Formats: sequence, structure tokens, C-alpha cells
Amino acid sequence: MLHMINKAPDHPRFQLCLHALVPGDTLILTESAVLALTDTAFAPPCPTFALAADVNARGLNALATPEWLIDYSGWVRITADHQQSVNW
Amino acid sequence: MTSPSSLTYTLVITGAPWASQAPQSALLFARALLESGHRLDRVFLYGDGVHLASALSAPPSDETNWPAEWAALLAEHQIPGVVCVASALRRGLVNDTEQKRYELPASNLRAPFDIAGLGDWVESQRQSDRMVYFHGEC
Amino acid sequence: MTTLIVVDQAPYSNWNGREALDMALSLAAFDQPVALLFTGPGVNWLRSGQNPGRIEQKSVEKQLAAAGIFGVEALYADQTACDRYQLNAETLMPGITPCKNPASVVRSHQRVLFAG
Repeated sequence: MLHMINKAPDHPRFQLCLHALVPGDTLILTESAVLALTDTAFAPPCPTFALAADVNARGLNALATPEWLIDYSGWVRITADHQQSVNW
Repeated sequence: MTSPSSLTYTLVITGAPWASQAPQSALLFARALLESGHRLDRVFLYGDGVHLASALSAPPSDETNWPAEWAALLAEHQIPGVVCVASALRRGLVNDTEQKRYELPASNLRAPFDIAGLGDWVESQRQSDRMVYFHGEC
Repeated sequence: MTTLIVVDQAPYSNWNGREALDMALSLAAFDQPVALLFTGPGVNWLRSGQNPGRIEQKSVEKQLAAAGIFGVEALYADQTACDRYQLNAETLMPGITPCKNPASVVRSHQRVLFAG
């Protein structure tokens, strides 16, 4: 299952999303959700990606794991690869 | 795994311009999906997202005019842009038909957006390969 | 293809919950299987005895009570959220299915969405 979230880590829906993740899922952080990169303890149980444009916008490049960064085409590609998805 | 080569997408936008990033994220996602060879069946505006169809937005010239940008994309690629009637009427997004129906002083829906019901969204659910939602941060 | 619509926002502030219910009823009207999950402050939609007349809003209690007749398959309520907001068998409207594990309800539906 593909999970996409755009809300800051303090938003209640962020925790709902995290609790719904299982290994084998994929998580994409966009917009305010990229702020999760500032938390060194943030360790989802599944492959996680962050939209580079939103990471850049917020000045978080130094905190981002390079393999996590995707562009809009990468985001599209990941949605194409998953039949089941939820936008939190 | 090789990515599927050509899928159909519907995008649902529920976040308003200037109240959220939803229109911007959705616009760049839409451009990327078209460049990747996928098809955009429909863009559906729901809830506060209906404000993206306003003909009257006039931001400063050094800011992006999100309704205008979206209208240009829809027109260029002949993609249906549907504004949910119930959401729109509540929030004061009105086309000529609704203006007459409700005897309102003006209409303000930006072309090429059309007003329709949730039936269009249900149809997208049934027909599009992928549906992606762009919410605000409420 | 079953759809789960999640309501996590409290009633009577924004229209999000109402618009979620509209989506659910539209799917049901077109014979598409759909269920609702209420969680977080959203469980307060399910409280019996709501009386929003003085704040000039309509109660959704009747619509939710009739949701089953209109074809909505279930109204799930996150048990933890219900406990937090003192919702129990006495204070919940009838026809609610408490769920201890909302994540598993999410995973068991093919489409999961929010109205906003």
C-alpha cells in the first residue's frame, strides 16, 4: 500500500498514518510532512521518500537522506507502481 | 518492476489556493504525469478546493495565479475540470446557469471548469486507474 | 472495490465531515460498496442527542442513522477515540461498529480516502 502525507508531524493524522504502516508499504512525504526529516528518531517501517522540491523549499537538504529524495516524476512513478494508495 | 506505461488518473483537489499547497502540488504532479505518458481523465474540485476555479483571483504579478495556471493546463490538454456543485454553491463559485437559477448578482467560474455533482467523482472512482487526492492541512 | 471514507475532524466547525458523508452516500447511491471510519475528534459526530439548531446547523444524526438503509455498509468508530471522548454504548448513536484497530480497518479496504 502507498501512503502519501502532506501534514506536519504534529498533525494528528500524521500519527494515524504512521500506525497504519507495515513493512512492504511505501511512504511519501510532501509539503509540511517533510518536516519529519528534522526528527532523528523518525524511522518508518517501510521505504520512505520525500519530495525534493518541498525539502528544498524548507531548507532541509542537509537533513535529508539522499536516497529518500524524489522529484514529481518519481512521485508519479511510485503512484503508478501501486494499485492501492491513501492520501492522508 | 517496470512501471505501467500508460495509466489513467483522476486528481481530486480539496485544498484551496493560498490556504494550502494543494493546488501547487497537484499542478506539478499533473504536469509530471502527462510528461510520463499517463492520461489525466479528470480533475475534480471538492470542498475548499472549489476556490481554484475562481475567475476573479488577482494575486500580485510576482505570485503564481493558481486558478489561471490550472485553467491553462486543462485547456491545453483538454482535460475536464469539474467543480462539485454542492461545494461550489456554498462557497460562492457559480457559473452562468447557477447564477440564473439562484438569481445571484454575478457568476465567477473560470473557464474551462464545469460544475457537476459527485456522480462525476463516483465515475472516476470506477474508471480511472489511479486517484490521487490533494488536501489542505486542516 | 470497497471504499473506506475516514472522518477525523470534530463536527460543527468545518464542513469536512458532512462532505465525507456526501461522498459515502453518493457511492452507495451508485451501488458502490462503502463504509465510514470515525477517528480522533471525528468520533463526536456519532454522539446521540446532538442539537445544533441554535448554532444554525443541521444535525447529521438522522443521516448517519439512515446511512445503513442508503447502502453504507458500516460506521466504524475508533475505540480509543471513543474512550477519550466518553462515547460508549449509552452515548453513541445506534448502528455503530466500534473498532479497536483502525489501522486494520484501513488496510482491509481497497480504497481509503478523506474528504479533506
